Amino acid sequence: MQSFYLRTPVALLCCELLLLNISGCGGHRVTLPTAEPVVRTSPLEQELRKSYLTLFEIASTLSYSDSQIQAMQEYLKQAQDYCVGRFESVSSDYQRSVDGAQQSLKKSKISEVDRHSLHCKIQDARALKSQADVIAQHAIPVAYDNKQAKLELIQKWPAQAKEIQASIADGTYKNRRWGDVEDIGFREIESNQKDDIKTGQEAIRDLKRSGLMPKELEDKAIVDYVSEVAKKLATNSDLQVPLQVTVLNSKEINAFALPGGFVFVERGILEAADDESQLAGVIAHEMSHVVARHGHKLMTKATIASIVYQAAQIAAVIFTGGVASIGAYYALQYGFYGLGLTLSLTLLGVSREYEQQADQLGIQYSWKAGYDPSGYIRFFDKMATREGYVNGASWFRSHPPFYQRMVESEREMDYLGKRSSAVVNTAEFKTMKEALAKVTATAETESKQKPSLLGPEQGCPAPSKLVYEPDQPIETICSSPKLAPAASTPGK
Amino acid sequence: MIAALALAAVPAGAGLAASIEPAGETVSLYLNVEKNGGLVTGLTHRNFRLYQDGKAQPFRLEKPEEPASIALLVEYSRASGYYYEDIEAAMLGFLQHAPEGHWYALATFAHELDVQVDFTQQIGAVTQGFSQLGMPSWSEIDTYDAVYEMLDKMGRLPGRRILVIVGSGLDTFSEHTFDQVKAKMESENVTVFVAGIGSLFRGMYEPYLETSPRLTFLQAQSFLQTLASKSGGFAWFPNQVSAFPSVLQGIMQSVATQYRLVYDTNVRGSGKFHKIKVEAFQIVNDKREDFKVLVREGWR
Repeated sequence: MQSFYLRTPVALLCCELLLLNISGCGGHRVTLPTAEPVVRTSPLEQELRKSYLTLFEIASTLSYSDSQIQAMQEYLKQAQDYCVGRFESVSSDYQRSVDGAQQSLKKSKISEVDRHSLHCKIQDARALKSQADVIAQHAIPVAYDNKQAKLELIQKWPAQAKEIQASIADGTYKNRRWGDVEDIGFREIESNQKDDIKTGQEAIRDLKRSGLMPKELEDKAIVDYVSEVAKKLATNSDLQVPLQVTVLNSKEINAFALPGGFVFVERGILEAADDESQLAGVIAHEMSHVVARHGHKLMTKATIASIVYQAAQIAAVIFTGGVASIGAYYALQYGFYGLGLTLSLTLLGVSREYEQQADQLGIQYSWKAGYDPSGYIRFFDKMATREGYVNGASWFRSHPPFYQRMVESEREMDYLGKRSSAVVNTAEFKTMKEALAKVTATAETESKQKPSLLGPEQGCPAPSKLVYEPDQPIETICSSPKLAPAASTPGK
Repeated sequence: MIAALALAAVPAGAGLAASIEPAGETVSLYLNVEKNGGLVTGLTHRNFRLYQDGKAQPFRLEKPEEPASIALLVEYSRASGYYYEDIEAAMLGFLQHAPEGHWYALATFAHELDVQVDFTQQIGAVTQGFSQLGMPSWSEIDTYDAVYEMLDKMGRLPGRRILVIVGSGLDTFSEHTFDQVKAKMESENVTVFVAGIGSLFRGMYEPYLETSPRLTFLQAQSFLQTLASKSGGFAWFPNQVSAFPSVLQGIMQSVATQYRLVYDTNVRGSGKFHKIKVEAFQIVNDKREDFKVLVREGWR
């Protein structure tokens, strides 16, 4: 009985936070500009559409003044606020439309035809509201975070690149933290890794007991392949505990590690990776969290559960057929799980320091195992630049695009030096991809057969959707959110 | 709570039909067979007889569809706070006993029905969904409306559909009537199981109540019992909070041991109610031993 009422203050607090800060508890929010910022089609803006790796290469050839950079920073901030505001406004409009139709339904005399028509209207407006919410609360902040990080790169990288070259020339680069890469496997990053095994086992047990762990992928060939890649990395790392790799059958583009050597790779990562070095980079990064005992330091069991739970929810809403088809499902789910989606990164155990440490060690382990260590940055780049703001959003939830992370990763690669024989891809990776295609097809078929209590009203016109393309620059959707009816079949 | 009793296939009299040519509409009947309160498994086609409107029907015994769509409909009103522990215990029982592999959804109701978690195979998502519910907005308990709407929604789903109601059966302000809900249930092929809440609370205060409120409670319980028995499920009203996990276990065991009888009919869609009777039995020493069959009373 008591717990029934104890939850009230929490719920009220959350509501209050959401009212004050619609873009999320952890989000950034200022007064929304009412007018659209002047669109900058300057060359600098064009540079921000390039990949991180390209920018690392060309940054020293660019010559933008500090005032130009500052002006762009301001513009991006305003543009983000404007863009979020636009979609929040659109979302509110759709909510008003839902409310209005629901009021009409309460009229005492209403014909069945009118009732049906109102149901269709509510259904359509809910679907559109859900799409607007995803874009406002998730996709836009991620896209602009990336732009700000790239802008910082253009501004600061040339000077840092010179410093790096100088430290390589005079040999001082070897004095950096964990610069003793020749001793990988024989040095100690953190002592007593084995003490974390019990914590990890308990966390896994809790996750399984709570039913929050996604199903394991059952294709033995795929699991064996991923385990082999992980094993190769483990034997070229500072890991002092047995590595246990689990492949989860989830569309989520993510991987995570639990204390004590438990690494989880989700199917979405395997689908998103273009080559083995990218996959190795991601696994090595997660493995490094185990080596540095970040989980022991930061993650409580509760936050571990939050990570998986949040990941599952984001996967459900973002990757179930894309934003355009989330529909009423998301409209209801999102409101319900809003708090989960706005958990701060600190609560999730993600910190700049720890991520940078894992980046550095992960790059070292990839390099030591014979992989091209730039695979990790290429994967990051792909998520940030090529996959577009929606697909990349999930990845960035737990791997925020801090400028410093990109720079430090690039710095570490420069220190390690390039190897002509570094492995980028293998035949086994291609074989795995072929097997994965079948698993994905089966999973998608099963997903389509999923029953729903939020199924569409029969006989409505084709649902509308907010139009976007996965690789469409974010600012182009903000100026005028476009609405288009779905092309083909009417709703059931 | 219920021990499953496995029986070997027993030779019986000649079956009603060896093979059936599909013709017209197909009706699926989901049923449980009981003996002395225990669930009976392992029966074959020859252990059943099926009658529609008193007339024997040829049928097939098929495997129930898996995964089943199992929806929890939970009463969650301000008024339910008096017996919230019952609700919480039932949800705990669900978490403990719901087998993996089925689709699960969670809906709550007070004045309106709210789908909190749409169908998912992550059992934890359902319980997490429940644990994150805020304070209920309404003090109404519109059970009839909620059940009617859920039956309507579930009726559109393919395959095997199970509705588990965690509620008191009280109704304060519904638009739909008892009879309308019953008629809806007859037209939708959904098996209803009930974990009745509030019995302990009611037991504490009932001796002090006037006749009218007593009748209200009785009517509430009767509604849920009627709903469950007419659909082929059952309703339990535990007097102890600690009994709810066992009730949920019993429900899940029943789902796991359902039989599916399929037959073809040419009267489907006529709107008229068609009464169903299923007999289950075994022959022991040339003597027929009948079992209790839980199956929907009929369909329209």
